[in-house]
Amino acid sequence: MAKPTDLVQGTLDLLILKTLSLEPKHGWAIGKRIQQVSEEALRIQQGSLYPALHRLEQQAWIEAEWRPTETGRMAKFYSLTRSGRKQLERELANWARLSTAINIVVQEA
Amino acid sequence: MRILGKARLRLRSLCRRPNVDFELEAELRFHLDQLIEENISSGMPPEEARRAAQRMIGGIAQHKEECRDMRRVNFVEDLVQDIRYTIRSLAKSPGFTGVVVATLALGIGANTAIFTIVHGVLLRPLDYPKPDQLMYLAAESPATGDTRNPLSAPEYAEFRQMNQSFAAVGAYSTGGAAYTTGEVNLTAGDRPLRVRSISVDAHLLKALSIQPEQGRFFSDEETARWTGTLPPPIAILSHELWRTAFGGRSLVGQKVEIEGRLHEIVGIMPPGADVMDNQTQVWLPLWLHPSTARQRGVHVLYVIARLKDGVTFEAAQTELNAFIKDWGERVGTKDHVPTNNPVRAVDHTLQLQALQDAIVGSSSRQIWVLQAAVGFVLLIVCANLANLVMARAGSRRREFVLRTALGASRGRLLRQSVTEGAVMSGAGGILGLWLASAGVRALIRAYPTSIPRTSELTIDLPVLLVALGLSTGTALLFGFVSLGRGRTSMATALKEGARGASGAWRHYARRGLVTAQVAFAVMLVIGAGLLVRTVYNLTRIDAGFDRSRLVTFSMTLPMANSDPDTRAQAYQRVLDRLRSVPGVLGTVAMSGLPPDRTPDAVATPVENYTSDDGRPFAIVDYYQFVMGDYFGTMGIPIVAGRGFERTDNASQGKVAIVNETLAKRIWKGQNPIGQRLRPPGGSFGATDDVWHTVIGVAKDVRQRGVERPAGTELYVSLDQHGVSPPSMNVVMRTTLPPAALSGTVQRVVREVDAAVPVVRLRDMDSVFAESIRRPRLLAQLLGAFAGLALLLAAIGTYGVLSYMVTERRREIGIRVALGATRCNVLTQIMKQGLQVTMLGVTIGLAGALAVNRLIASLLFGVQPTDIVTIAFVIATITAVAVIASWLPAWRASRLDPNVVLRDE
Repeated sequence: MAKPTDLVQGTLDLLILKTLSLEPKHGWAIGKRIQQVSEEALRIQQGSLYPALHRLEQQAWIEAEWRPTETGRMAKFYSLTRSGRKQLERELANWARLSTAINIVVQEA
Repeated sequence: MRILGKARLRLRSLCRRPNVDFELEAELRFHLDQLIEENISSGMPPEEARRAAQRMIGGIAQHKEECRDMRRVNFVEDLVQDIRYTIRSLAKSPGFTGVVVATLALGIGANTAIFTIVHGVLLRPLDYPKPDQLMYLAAESPATGDTRNPLSAPEYAEFRQMNQSFAAVGAYSTGGAAYTTGEVNLTAGDRPLRVRSISVDAHLLKALSIQPEQGRFFSDEETARWTGTLPPPIAILSHELWRTAFGGRSLVGQKVEIEGRLHEIVGIMPPGADVMDNQTQVWLPLWLHPSTARQRGVHVLYVIARLKDGVTFEAAQTELNAFIKDWGERVGTKDHVPTNNPVRAVDHTLQLQALQDAIVGSSSRQIWVLQAAVGFVLLIVCANLANLVMARAGSRRREFVLRTALGASRGRLLRQSVTEGAVMSGAGGILGLWLASAGVRALIRAYPTSIPRTSELTIDLPVLLVALGLSTGTALLFGFVSLGRGRTSMATALKEGARGASGAWRHYARRGLVTAQVAFAVMLVIGAGLLVRTVYNLTRIDAGFDRSRLVTFSMTLPMANSDPDTRAQAYQRVLDRLRSVPGVLGTVAMSGLPPDRTPDAVATPVENYTSDDGRPFAIVDYYQFVMGDYFGTMGIPIVAGRGFERTDNASQGKVAIVNETLAKRIWKGQNPIGQRLRPPGGSFGATDDVWHTVIGVAKDVRQRGVERPAGTELYVSLDQHGVSPPSMNVVMRTTLPPAALSGTVQRVVREVDAAVPVVRLRDMDSVFAESIRRPRLLAQLLGAFAGLALLLAAIGTYGVLSYMVTERRREIGIRVALGATRCNVLTQIMKQGLQVTMLGVTIGLAGALAVNRLIASLLFGVQPTDIVTIAFVIATITAVAVIASWLPAWRASRLDPNVVLRDE
């Protein structure tokens, strides 16, 4: 199931988990947050975001809860579970290794 | 934990699907609203903002689907969808579905039924603790061909003492002692019954390790001290008899009349307890007459032994062989001991056999033959189904291609096909299971004594597993047959369109399947044909007497409350009263009812005679004690001398009649008339042994199965002696059927002795049918399976040809347009059908010749290569093939080229 994405393969999960590690957020806020933090460099498509959220929930790394937003509307808030936190650590370590390796290769060339 | 959590979530997705869907919808709706809001706040008019947002996020439905995919429950949802779709599409073609399900049900049903028998009779261990330790010890006389004979009492005692291998050695007897026939009269309340009995010693019950349900077993005292003239009056009832005859009321310690004497019931057996499939209803203490117990030549005890823990069959066999080597020295006699080198008719050796094999005996081969036959039927069923499914897949080609074009993956299509297969084989399997259980029940009811261990037959777990395996196997077959078809590329398939042109491989595959079907059918039909001939031959055997219009029953006046002359008078009264019944032309009584009785094998002194082993007596296989005009009424020709006559009754000199075999074997060409023999008086109730003069020679009568050659037989007239043994068979030559005589016979016997039941009142044809019940059952079942195979093969041939005609409509149309006559078309199609059939017949014939040796031992009067049977089978199959091919060929020849070519 090839989905067009600007992200390096597999990094979307990392971004979501990292974003949720601070506080629970709903899908819209997750997308916005990534967009802001990355200074508009990363735009997560809805078509990638929601399937990813459902997949992470299925893996039990995040859990969902319906809560009112500041404006009073009900929205589905996702938060990190304990195993999600561990997964985040693993993914961070992976990312560190991968980015270092890529940097080395890129700078060598 | 995590796995549990995940499972919970998936379960939630599945079970609360509307809920989850709703949540998903709300979540996406929220996102959409946020987007619209953002657009508005950036200055867009609301309507445009909404449109822009929707453009941006694309189809909501698609996202929902993707999210659901992530939840991984699609497999189950698809399955439900597939099953629904399958049921809808199958319901649309009821003909196809009906044929498939019915074929499957027959195939699976036949296989499950026969496997129930294979499993219940051959594979399942016996119902005793540690059943593989149980052994059966029997005497064998290779010279006479007798196997599984009982042992003599001294031999049994010696073996018990000598052996080291067995933890317990016990014996039983069904005759030869006080209770002679394996049946006893038993009075339950005021109802006289004839019930199956067995006489056992305490050791046997120990060896079998069965416990009584109530009361106690016999003690060593009661079963091993053989004194007096009658066994101790105690008995154990089977659970079943206790329930049916006594209503399960408390009975232990009470007295019940058995064989004219009151017996104390000391125990009740647990349900199903039995020995050697005897269907025992009453267990009696083993008892032998002290004189019998001393004789080495009198073989009356069947021996069952239990191996000690850790001792192997081989070790026990080796030990037994060592005993037999010097049995004589060990026990200090040369007279009639087991020998390792039995050459003469009187010699015997001892053979150890697993008890289960001893019980199942010769029926094992018949059951395996049936299993092989239904296996063939199943293969034919599968070939037929594969053909049907291929044809259906061919016509559904466009549907599949369309679905592929709309995005269905190959795996998804395969899953759909397998689901279709599973639904149909599931239905076929359930129906088959029902057929099997009904079939097995009907079989047991119709042939209660033809199959051993029937009381234990049930469709249990292993059988269910086999049925399940068969269904699953066929379901997979379905899927993959359709898959093989799906291999052509989409483009080709779409181009070919409705014509559904097909690859050559498919033609070959389908013809190959029909060839295989025909081949298997040929093998089955030949096998069935040979067995039908066997049964025909068996029914045509001249048993030596005129069996038509004979009605027979048996009765027993117990030894305990009658003596030989009162018995003779009682029988005489019965015979006299029956003779006066209108429609009864003649009435006689005899001790052993041909053509299926137990042998007597009595050592009979013969005047001026020395046997091969130097003795002054001959072993006479059958003694026949008769009352009335025996030879006249039975229609047995006297070939020399004369039959018994009324004047003999008053004369002093006792007379006897011998059969041809006896005359030939003993007097070897000399004139038997006037020779003398001295039958032991004890065998028929006379007080002493007297010389009998031979006055006639009767034609041989088959006594122990119609297929066995007659043995030596000696006739003695009880009218002359005025005595009678306890059990007699009455035979009436009559124009009436048994049912019409039943009331009269019951009344006559009740008038003579109210405590005596009338047993097995039936006509002689039934007696004959009973004597050949096993080959007949085998022939009937095999015949049914062969018929089924033939029908399926015909359907297969017809199906393939009709499909071929449909596919080649255009070609045929063109040929007709170019001048081919209807006759040309007809012959061409038929030729193709017959080619396939003939190839199948050839292969099947080769196969039949190869495997028919295996059933040679089940045949009678016909060779496995019997040319008449084979010719008949080939003719039948060819006729069936001609009919099956003619129909589609005829249809092809009627094609109107105008219509066909316009259609295309």
